[in-house]
Amino acid sequence: MKSLATLGEIMRTDWNRRVQHDYRFWVSNDISPTSIMWEEGARDFAVVTQGISAKRTHTALEIGCGVGRMLRAASEVFGKVVGIDVSPLAIDKAKELLGSSTQVQLCASNGYDLSGIADESVDFAWSFASLAHMPARIFASYLLELRRVLTSTGVARLQVFIGTTTGLQEVDTLRLRAFSEGNLQEALQQAGLEITGQVPTELPLAELLDEMGLRPVMLTVARGDNAPRSLETVYAALTPEGEECADVCEKASEFEAWLALNYADRLFNDGDFDRARFTLEYVAQHCKTTGIDIQDTLERISAVTATQDVQAVISSADSASQIYAKNAEVLGQRFPELLKKLDALADSELATVVVKATVDGPVLWRGQTCLDHPEKPKAGGDSWVRRSLNDVRFLRAAHLIVVGFGAGYHIESLLARGTHRVSCVEPSLAALKRALQLRDLRVSLRQLASLEVSTDVHKLECGEGSEVLSRPQVTMLDPTFTTEVTKQFYARRGLNTMKPKIAVLGPLQGGTLPIGQYTTSALTTLGQRVRGIDMSGFNKSYELVDSLIFDSGRRNLARQTYVETLSSMLLESFAEKPIDILICMAQAPISARALQELRRQGVVTVLWFVEDYLRFTYWKEMSKYYDFVFTIQKGDCIDAIRAAGAGCVHYLPTACDPRFHVPMNLTAEDREKWGSPISFVGAGYHNRQQAFASLAHYPLKIWGSEWPGCKPFDRLVQEDSRRVAPEEYIKIFNATDININLHSSSERDGVDPTGDFLNPRTFELASCEAFQLVDERALLAEAFVAGEEIVTFNSVADLKEKIDYYTERPEERKRIAQKGRERVLRDHTYEKRMEEMLSVIYSQAYQKLKTRQQSSPWGEMIRRAEVDPELRDRCQRAFERGEEPVLDGLVADITTGKGTLSETEQKLLFLFHVRKQIIRMEHEGAGVKNS
Amino acid sequence: MKKRYPTKKKVLLVNITRLGDMLQATPTIAGIKQENPDCHITVLVEKQFEAICHVLPNIDAVIGIDLAYTCRSLAEEQSGIVDAYEYVSELVNRLKAEQFDYCLNMSSSAYTAILLKMLGVPQTGGWTADEEGYRVIESEWARLFATSVHHQNRQYNSLNLVDVFRCSADVEQHPQKLLVSVLPEARQYAENLIAEAAFTNTGPLIAVQAGASQGKRQWAPARFAEMIKILVGEYNARIVMTGSSKEQSIVGPIVEACASPNVFSAVGKTSIPQIAALLNLCDVLVTGDTGPMHISVAAGTPVVSMFLASAYGFETGPYSAGNIVLQPVIGCGPCNPNKACSRPDCHDMIPPRLMAYLAAERAKGDISEVSAELADPSKVIVYRSSFDDLGFCDLVPLNKPDGDLYSRHRRAYRKLWLDDLGGFQLSESESSGARRSALQVVDAGLEGLSELSDCATRGRGLMRDLQGLISDSRSPASKLTSINTEIVELDREIEELGYHYSPFGSLTRMFIFAKENLKGSDAAALASQMDGIYRDLGRRCEKFREFYQRS
Repeated sequence: MKSLATLGEIMRTDWNRRVQHDYRFWVSNDISPTSIMWEEGARDFAVVTQGISAKRTHTALEIGCGVGRMLRAASEVFGKVVGIDVSPLAIDKAKELLGSSTQVQLCASNGYDLSGIADESVDFAWSFASLAHMPARIFASYLLELRRVLTSTGVARLQVFIGTTTGLQEVDTLRLRAFSEGNLQEALQQAGLEITGQVPTELPLAELLDEMGLRPVMLTVARGDNAPRSLETVYAALTPEGEECADVCEKASEFEAWLALNYADRLFNDGDFDRARFTLEYVAQHCKTTGIDIQDTLERISAVTATQDVQAVISSADSASQIYAKNAEVLGQRFPELLKKLDALADSELATVVVKATVDGPVLWRGQTCLDHPEKPKAGGDSWVRRSLNDVRFLRAAHLIVVGFGAGYHIESLLARGTHRVSCVEPSLAALKRALQLRDLRVSLRQLASLEVSTDVHKLECGEGSEVLSRPQVTMLDPTFTTEVTKQFYARRGLNTMKPKIAVLGPLQGGTLPIGQYTTSALTTLGQRVRGIDMSGFNKSYELVDSLIFDSGRRNLARQTYVETLSSMLLESFAEKPIDILICMAQAPISARALQELRRQGVVTVLWFVEDYLRFTYWKEMSKYYDFVFTIQKGDCIDAIRAAGAGCVHYLPTACDPRFHVPMNLTAEDREKWGSPISFVGAGYHNRQQAFASLAHYPLKIWGSEWPGCKPFDRLVQEDSRRVAPEEYIKIFNATDININLHSSSERDGVDPTGDFLNPRTFELASCEAFQLVDERALLAEAFVAGEEIVTFNSVADLKEKIDYYTERPEERKRIAQKGRERVLRDHTYEKRMEEMLSVIYSQAYQKLKTRQQSSPWGEMIRRAEVDPELRDRCQRAFERGEEPVLDGLVADITTGKGTLSETEQKLLFLFHVRKQIIRMEHEGAGVKNS
Repeated sequence: MKKRYPTKKKVLLVNITRLGDMLQATPTIAGIKQENPDCHITVLVEKQFEAICHVLPNIDAVIGIDLAYTCRSLAEEQSGIVDAYEYVSELVNRLKAEQFDYCLNMSSSAYTAILLKMLGVPQTGGWTADEEGYRVIESEWARLFATSVHHQNRQYNSLNLVDVFRCSADVEQHPQKLLVSVLPEARQYAENLIAEAAFTNTGPLIAVQAGASQGKRQWAPARFAEMIKILVGEYNARIVMTGSSKEQSIVGPIVEACASPNVFSAVGKTSIPQIAALLNLCDVLVTGDTGPMHISVAAGTPVVSMFLASAYGFETGPYSAGNIVLQPVIGCGPCNPNKACSRPDCHDMIPPRLMAYLAAERAKGDISEVSAELADPSKVIVYRSSFDDLGFCDLVPLNKPDGDLYSRHRRAYRKLWLDDLGGFQLSESESSGARRSALQVVDAGLEGLSELSDCATRGRGLMRDLQGLISDSRSPASKLTSINTEIVELDREIEELGYHYSPFGSLTRMFIFAKENLKGSDAAALASQMDGIYRDLGRRCEKFREFYQRS
């Protein structure tokens, strides 16, 4: 019998070897990319922690964390997460993948105990797909260690197998171990633990496990009343017959070889010859098996790759056109737009796709990659489909979106099963046309739900029942395409199905204040669960700081303290009414501490930085606290904010609110008050003062703050240079013949030649159907067609010329203003912007938000409410209104005297009044005690 | 007696949350059985009161509603709400399956009204709700119940709520007392308990219930102790302290202060049947307005009871003849039950010595007079409970009070409702009295009544106009609008008169309840119903005037 230390050493050697070969295959999610690993890690973590109340003050521990697949999800709910693994190489990889996180502590362990972890210091421990590979003595040792490190209220979740496994040797670190329920219970009891729950666990290859008689379960374990016994006692309880002693386990080695060879076969089928070869070499080097002829497979790989440039003539030109014509007939009926694109494709463009013959039929090659199985495409297609559907995510989906058409073998195989609706997204028009020339695919074309050659998945069904299934060949050839389709899919799916609670936090004051309100309003219109937080009422106190403290350092400190106080209030508010996404408008009064805390709670933090990043630079300190930053500038701005640590940075210009910024029929009185042949609304920045001083001879009215009182402004500036409210300035826009929109600059005179972003006024004026002359901006061309939808000027002289020109041409002004309005209504509303913002958020954080939603109280409540369809609908509606999952939220829209009450409504009102009555009686009781 | 539903077969009585309420329903239950011998009566009560229903006679079935579980589930929120919802669904289904033909709900709570609506019972008394969730009180007696307990009107009511409840269920014949069964095993237990006490005195066995449901109704333990010392020392009494284990903190100090072998605490030692048996063995119970007071009356033992703070003897006093009720005379009493009181001066109005005297005397036999020297009528009025010729409970003053400002109005209202709602033929002694001087144009105490009566007349005029407009299809809409505005203004005036002239709050409250119960949406039918409501108001004003002037 080997010592624990020796067994630990064997485990270390074995797992280091496997991680070094291919960590994805051995300890992660197979060949999937890292993003999928995080998603699936989060999914499994949600399973592991179901019903567990995670707190920020809690410490969590994973035994056998591998490359940290589940740790990222854990770090979002626990204050401190410790991951241990016997393989230092796995730990190194985990560090690389997880990046620097102060919450996650990674530790390469000795493989048999939890030394380094203090007694009674762990609130939650778990082990997933790990303990079953460990020698039983090490398993027993970890049980004793769990007893030691769990707090008195601590809980552990252990994924193990119930069943019988015979002939296992103690040095076997790979094959699954199972134990009888009785032995497990006894061992846990002897370790001073008790089982408080046991639920079945769904794992891939469920059928195979079932055949092997292994039943995967998740045990919930807590400290018991018994004192822990010795290691030998626990081990004997776990495996009364003990595990066989040996120096080498041949069966384990054979099993490892078998797994690796299957993997190599898949890599080979998927066209990843390098990794296939590397895997075969791994088998040859490390697995002492003679049962399989590796050399033969290696030679096959060499033969295929050596002949791939040989063009196989598989059909005459005539037959290719005939096959295409047959396919085109169906295509024309089902997907006419796509047919047009295919027909328009020149034959010369097809040269990038090479056709080769196999015994099953023709296959397509792009460059060094075969889009199908290079030798047996039909069997390869079948095999890929079977493998893919081993994942319950795909198996249970109603609709699969396959990325990559190839020559269509796998599509045929998937459709032939009749279990899923299938859509396909293909990156290459040429490859698709080639396929349609080679094979009669009419049956598949008739059955496909959609067929697209674009990353735009808007036309595809992206609901809860859909999943994206990428062909590995496409992922290798065109990773950007695959990533974009996946992102678009999740974005669309999120918009279709997700209802996170979104808070929009406005600034204390300034021009961004109304933008926050428009944002809230747009999200509400989009049917989101939104809560606008107006902080403007706190501005007066903030400004009073200036009248109390005059030293700038002290004043800044006081302001920070004030913002910290407001932040604490916000955190309390969010604790009371939890949120999933926080959208902070520029200058929103929230501190780094609060943002960190919200992120720790799993809230997605977003900043819409609707400011000039060069003028307002607080993003340098704050960007790193946001998962998403949206900017109104491109290029350097995005790079700089990204470099400052923001999660994702995207361009998102401001817009108009078409319910508020509208053409108005003003009264004569209003026209007199607000109107003018020429107007400008905005603050008196340097360049504007300089430019407008030379317009003094025009009939110009200037509205806005911070203008000088000297000549000529004393005559031009209206109402003592007060700030104009949005309700007022839309009247000015409507009552003015020519609105000047000169973007501000503190440095330049007149028009800033480096100006890029568009101010909100550009869109608001257009939405009011008001004619505007706007200074030229780098980003204007992608928002408006200059000269048709808007008129620009590039200098003050140019401005004067255009004022003169358009003053004389009211009809032309009207025509341009109308076109401008049409454009903004089509492309530049806040609803459009919010759709885009949410798309970006969902494309990156769908799984996180989904997991959060599923584990939210509403998720459980809606599931439970299925007993009564009307109750379920009412729960769903209350959820969508943004109510909390409490009775008041459910009855909030039941109004006495507004029509006949349904029985469900009556029952809810009954409960509402029962509770009210009981509270009243309790209150009476309390009153009694006081008297 | 006017009856809405004289025949009943399958009856549901909803009386959920209070022990006293259940006992007070026993004359009604007995009456229903007496008048409908074949009917089946089910009672819906809060689960904790299920047990007591088994010692109440004439009940065929009891269904418990577990409000505590419901509230616990609701407090859990989220899925707990679904649990509570499922529980309610099961309850509603169970009750529907019983197919009741008559349901009486005398709880004014919104939830019982909604429950009744869900059950869809064809004939109802008391509170229910309409299709849109509005409260509906169909029976005029039940409206009187709601009117009488309205805080502003309480002092003007002299009808015991047991009688009002009974009339709501159309019950005329009744046993004139509350009912409870004294079970033989409970009696044996009570006898053992008394034996265990090993009293040294040999005088009357007097039970004392010191605890009360509200702190402000709780006479101070020191006063109880003083009273008990007098009873033990001067009247040779044997004292049994009653109460639940929760009341130990009140009773403990009393027993300690008395330090006498003749004071025995049975607190926490008795179930409901056992306390009924124990009280049955006693000669008298000294108490406040409590559940044990009703049990004692039901068990046949007279009570001497104090109606402190918000308690009001005429309303919830002991329902049998020969009990003694003490009502303090104080400007603020009876106070609002929903408000706490930091200075319960009404407690000072009742001297312990008076209580001891009354208890000892009542233990000897009925009391027909109490001297003003013993019981100062400016501080406390001592009443004796009795029944009038029509079988309605009443309180008769024993210490000759002359300063009761409300008694004349109470008399007038009593006659008004018995005549107007009950259709009772009042005897000569009830209906007539010495007429006041014909020269007295406005009798003191009737200020505002003429205005109210005028409003009723104006209302009927408006209804006539409205009915004319409705029947004439050429009527301009503006006239309808104008008349509608006048009606709204008039109704507001009526409501305000009720507040301004508080003696007539009961008349206007009945008017408001009647308006709340208008049925249908047809304009002509609504106008006709409204005309009837103004007619009722006018008639009641005139009857009240007549009864008041005769009293």
